[in-house]
Amino acid sequence: MNRVDLFSIATSGVNASSKLLQTTSNNIANVNTPGYVRQRTEIENSGVFGVEIGNTERIINVFAQNQLRRDITSVGELESLSQKTTAIDNLLASEANSISQGLTEYFSALQTAADDPTNLASREQVLGKSESLYNRMKTLSDYMIEKEEELNLEFTSLVNRANTLIGNIGDLNRNIVIANGNNTSDEPSALLNERDQAIDELASIMGITVKESEIQNGAVTINLTSGESLVLENGAFNLFELNTNADLNFKELKLETDFGSTTKGDASIRIVESDLGGSMGGLFRYRDEILGPAMRDVGQLSIAFADAMNTQNKLGMDLDGQLGGNIFNIPTFTGLAYEGTTGDYIVTAQVTEGQSAELTDADYRIEVTNVAAGVPTEIEITLLNADGTTKKDGSGNDLVFSNFAVTTGFNELPGGIEVDFSGTGTYAIGNEFLIQPTKTVASNITLATNRPEDLAFANPVRTGADSTNLGTANTINTIVTNTTVGAGTDRSAFDGAGGIDTAAPAQIVFTAADSFDVLDGTGATIATVTGATDLDNLIDQAKNSGTWPAAFAGLTDYPGYDFSLDGAPRAGDSFSISYNTDGFNDNSNALNLAALQNDETVQVSSESTNTPRTFQDAYASMVGRVGEDAAMANVSLASAEAMQVQSQNWFESVSGVSLDEEAANLIKYQQSYSAAARILTTAQDLFNTILQSAR
Amino acid sequence: MRISTNQIYDQNMRSILNSQSDLAKTQQQLASGNRIITPSDDPVGAAKVLRLTEEIDELTQFQRNNDLVTGSLEQQEAVLTNITDSINRARTLVVQAGNGILSDPDKRAIGAELEQIKLEVFDLMNAQDADGNYLYAGFQSGNQAFDFNPSATGNAITFAGDPGVSFIQLSNSSKIQSTSNGYEVFENVLSRFKFSVTGNTVTDLEGATVKQQGTFDTFFDKNYDPVTAANNDYQITFLGTGQAQMVNQGTGAIVDTVNYVSGEPFTIQGMEFEAVATVGDTIDFSLNTPEKKSMAQSLHEIQLILTDSTIDNTALQESIADALVGLDNGLEKISLERASIGSRLNIAESTYESNLDIEIAAKAARSSIQDTDYAEASTEFAKQETALNAALATFPQVTNLSLFNFI
Repeated sequence: MNRVDLFSIATSGVNASSKLLQTTSNNIANVNTPGYVRQRTEIENSGVFGVEIGNTERIINVFAQNQLRRDITSVGELESLSQKTTAIDNLLASEANSISQGLTEYFSALQTAADDPTNLASREQVLGKSESLYNRMKTLSDYMIEKEEELNLEFTSLVNRANTLIGNIGDLNRNIVIANGNNTSDEPSALLNERDQAIDELASIMGITVKESEIQNGAVTINLTSGESLVLENGAFNLFELNTNADLNFKELKLETDFGSTTKGDASIRIVESDLGGSMGGLFRYRDEILGPAMRDVGQLSIAFADAMNTQNKLGMDLDGQLGGNIFNIPTFTGLAYEGTTGDYIVTAQVTEGQSAELTDADYRIEVTNVAAGVPTEIEITLLNADGTTKKDGSGNDLVFSNFAVTTGFNELPGGIEVDFSGTGTYAIGNEFLIQPTKTVASNITLATNRPEDLAFANPVRTGADSTNLGTANTINTIVTNTTVGAGTDRSAFDGAGGIDTAAPAQIVFTAADSFDVLDGTGATIATVTGATDLDNLIDQAKNSGTWPAAFAGLTDYPGYDFSLDGAPRAGDSFSISYNTDGFNDNSNALNLAALQNDETVQVSSESTNTPRTFQDAYASMVGRVGEDAAMANVSLASAEAMQVQSQNWFESVSGVSLDEEAANLIKYQQSYSAAARILTTAQDLFNTILQSAR
Repeated sequence: MRISTNQIYDQNMRSILNSQSDLAKTQQQLASGNRIITPSDDPVGAAKVLRLTEEIDELTQFQRNNDLVTGSLEQQEAVLTNITDSINRARTLVVQAGNGILSDPDKRAIGAELEQIKLEVFDLMNAQDADGNYLYAGFQSGNQAFDFNPSATGNAITFAGDPGVSFIQLSNSSKIQSTSNGYEVFENVLSRFKFSVTGNTVTDLEGATVKQQGTFDTFFDKNYDPVTAANNDYQITFLGTGQAQMVNQGTGAIVDTVNYVSGEPFTIQGMEFEAVATVGDTIDFSLNTPEKKSMAQSLHEIQLILTDSTIDNTALQESIADALVGLDNGLEKISLERASIGSRLNIAESTYESNLDIEIAAKAARSSIQDTDYAEASTEFAKQETALNAALATFPQVTNLSLFNFI
C-alpha cells in the first residue's frame, strides 16, 4: 500500500491546474489568431494518487478539416471564375460599348443614306457610324486582350505562390517529424497550425487531397485531386511551371517532378487545367470557357460584318461612277509555329472574300503531311476550340480534314479561310502551324476608305424598256451578282472602266410573247429563248437555253447581272441593259447593304454549313451566353459559399475558441488551483500539528 | 452545438454584408429603373432585350423612311394634280381652237396660251425635290428629266433620264417605290394611230382618214406587226360585186369586205375612203408606226399649228384630233400614276400603323423584361432594409454577451 503524500498530491494538483490555466490562457490569447486550433491538456488520475498531466493536443476533426478544404477549393475556383466573368458581363451591359447599339446606329445611318443616295452628309454619317461600330468592337476586343495578358500575369503569380506553399509544406513536414521525435508528450501545435494554414491556402489555389503519412510520423502527403503528387512522403516536392506553345499568350501548366532520387528520372507532366480546381483552375476555366470564346465571337462578328459589307459594296457603283471597293480592311493572319517547328516558315491566312458566313470561331491547327520539293502538297487541318481541344461536328465527330491537297498560292480551307505557304524555307512533313483567324482580329480591322463617295449605293447596271415598246412590260429586280474585273474564269461583264463588255448581253428583244433573243453590245444575237414560262431572270433563262455562247460557258458567273419583267411584253418589244452611268440617285445597292441587317451572315455553329444568324442575333447570343456563364458562376459561388459556411461552422464548432467556455474554464482551473494550494496549506497545518503535538 | 467566438462574429458579419449587397442591388434596380443591371441577372432576358431594342430602333428608322416617302409621294401627287389641271385647261382651248369661226388672231391667241401651258407642264415634268434632284429623271437625278429642243427632228420634248426607280424600305418585308419612271409617266403615251396611203389606181381619191377612231384603234392594236413590216401593208380592191375588199399584203388574208358605191365614201375598220373607182382599182396603204409623245410635245405641236396661218382647215382638224387623243392618252397615264401613288400612300400609311403597333408591342415586351417592377422592388427593398436593421441591432447585443462581463 502506497503512503498518501499530501504534499505530492497538492503539488501535482497545483501543477496540473497551472498547466490547464496555461492552456486556457493560450486559447484565450489566440482567439484572434488565424488558423489557430484550440488546445486541450489531457490530465489523468495518477497511479499513485494525485494527478498526472497528459498531452496537450489540438482539438481537431480531420473530416471537418478535409471537408472545409474541399469547400475552400470550390469557393476559390468559383470566386475567381465569377469575379472575372462578372467583369466581362459588366462590360457587355454597358450601353456605351454595346455592339448591338453600334449595329443599329450603323444600319439606321445606312437607311437614311439610302433615302437620299446623293447626299454626301448622310454618306459621311454611314462612314462615321461604321467607324464607331468598329471602335466598339475594338474596345471590347482590346479589353479582352488586356484581360488575357493580365490573366497570364496572374497565372505566374499564382504558380509562384503555389510553389512557395508546396515548398513550405515540405519544410514544415520535415520540422514536424523532427519535433515529434524530440518531444513525445506535446504536439508541435504551432508547426501544425502553420502547416494547416499553408495547406488551406494551397487548397484555395487548386484542388488537393491531403493524407497522413504512414511511415513518417506527423508528415502529410499532398496530391492534386487528379492524382499527381505535390509533396512527397520524404519531404521532396514537385513544382509547377508555365509553358506556352504556338500561341504565346496561351499558357499551359506543367508539373516538374523532383523525386530526389538517383534511380528515378525526373519528368515534366502536363496538367489538365480544366480539372485543376481552386482559384487557378477557376482562372483557367474562365480563360477556356468564357474569355477565349468571347474573344473569338467578337472577332468572328467583326469579320463577318466587314466581309459582308465589302462584298455587297463591291457589287455596287460608287459616287464616282466606279465599281465599289472594300469599305473595311480585314487583316491577314500569320500562322504561328508549334514547338518543334523551327525555321523560316511563313504561313499566311486570310478570310476568303464573300465566304465569311462560313467562318466559325475555330482556330486551325495545320500539319503538313506531305511535301514535294519542299512545298507542302497535303495538309491535315484540325479545327480547335478556344481551349485547344478539337472541335466536334453535329454528330460528335472530330472536325479534322486529313489529306487536304494544297498547291502554291492561297488554298481555300473549310470554314471560309484560305492559307498560303509562302515561306522560303523547305517545309517538312510534321511542320505544324496554328492559325487564329478570330482571336484578336476585332482590334485590327480598319476602314479602307475615308471618302464617303466610295460607298457604292447604286447598281452598276440599269435596265429599262425601250421607247418603241408596245407591250406593258417593265423591268424589275435588276440584280448584280458579280463585278469581278479581269480575265479569269470568275470575271464578270464589267470592264472596270465604266462600261460593259461589248460581247455581253446588252439587249433582250422579244420575238413573241414567250420568246426572246439576247443581243450583245453590237446588236448580234447571242442566245435565243423560246417558250419561256415566266419572265423572271431572263439572262439566267438564256444561260439554260442551250444557245448560250460557248465562250461564256466556262465562266462561273457571267455576265454577273440579271433582271426580270413585270407586265406583258409584245413581239418586237426590247429591253436594254447598260452601265449605270451617272445613275447616282440609284439606291438599289444601298438597300441591299441595309438589308444585311436581317441577313443571316454569322455562323454560330461549329459546322460551317449550318444556317448562319444575323449580326444582332450572333451578338445577342454571345451576350446571353456570357450572362448565362456569369449567372451560373454566381449561383454556384453562392452555393459553394453556403457549403463553406457550413463546413467552416463544423470545423469552428470543433476547433474554434469559445471565450465563454474559456472563461468558465479559467474560473474552474483557478479554483482547482486554489483548492490544490489549499491542500498544501492543509498538509502544512497537519505537519505543524504533528510537530506541535510532538513538542 | 458548440459555438466558438469567431463563429458568432463571422455569422453576424456575414448576414450584415449579405443584407447590404442585396440592398445595394435592389437600390440600383430602383434607381436605374432596370431590372437587368448586367446580362447575368437574366441572360435570356438580356439577349431578348437586345433583339427587341434592335427591332424598336429599326422600326423608328422605318417610320422615318415612311415620313420621307410620304412627303415625296405627296409632292409627286401635287405635281401630277397641277399637270392634270393645266392639261384640262389646254384641252378646252384645243377644242375651242377647232371652232371654224375663229379668226387667225384668235387662234394665235389660243396658241400663245397653249405655249404657256406647255412651258408650265414642261417645268412640272422637270420638278425637283428639296435636295435638287429631278423627280422624274430616274437614277441620273442630277440631270434634267426632259429636254426641250425645238429644232430637233422628231419630238422636241424628249425624256433624257433613265427608267430607274428608287425604293424605300418601310418594314422588314416591304419596300415601296418612292420615285417613278418619268418616261413611263409622261412620254410613254401613244399618239393617235394613223395610216398612210402609199399608192392607188383610183381616179379620184377624195379622202382617206380615220373616221371611227375606236374601231380603228382596235383594228390597229390587234394587227399592227412591229416585227414584220410587210404585215402592215394593206390593199383595198374594188370588186365587181360592188364591194371593196381589204387584204393584208403580207399574209394575203382578207381582212374585211364592205359595200361600195363609186364616188360615195365607205368605211372599213374605222377608216373612211372616198374615191371614184372602177372594178379592179386598188388603194394601197400601210399602218403608221405608233408614235409616243408626251403631252407637252402634243401641246407643242398643236401650238405650232395654231400659230401657223398657212394651215388649212382639214389639216387643222386632223392636228386637233391628234392633240386631243394625245392629251387624253396622256391624262390616262397620269391618272394611272396618281392611282398608283394613292395606293402607295395607302400602303405607306397602313405600314406606318402596323409598324406603330409592332413598336408598341415590342416596347411593352421590352419593358416587361427589363423594367423594374417598382411595387415589387420597393417591397423587396423594405424587406431587406428591415433585415439589415435587425442584423445591425442584434449584432452588439449578441457580441456583448460574454461570461467575462460577469467575472
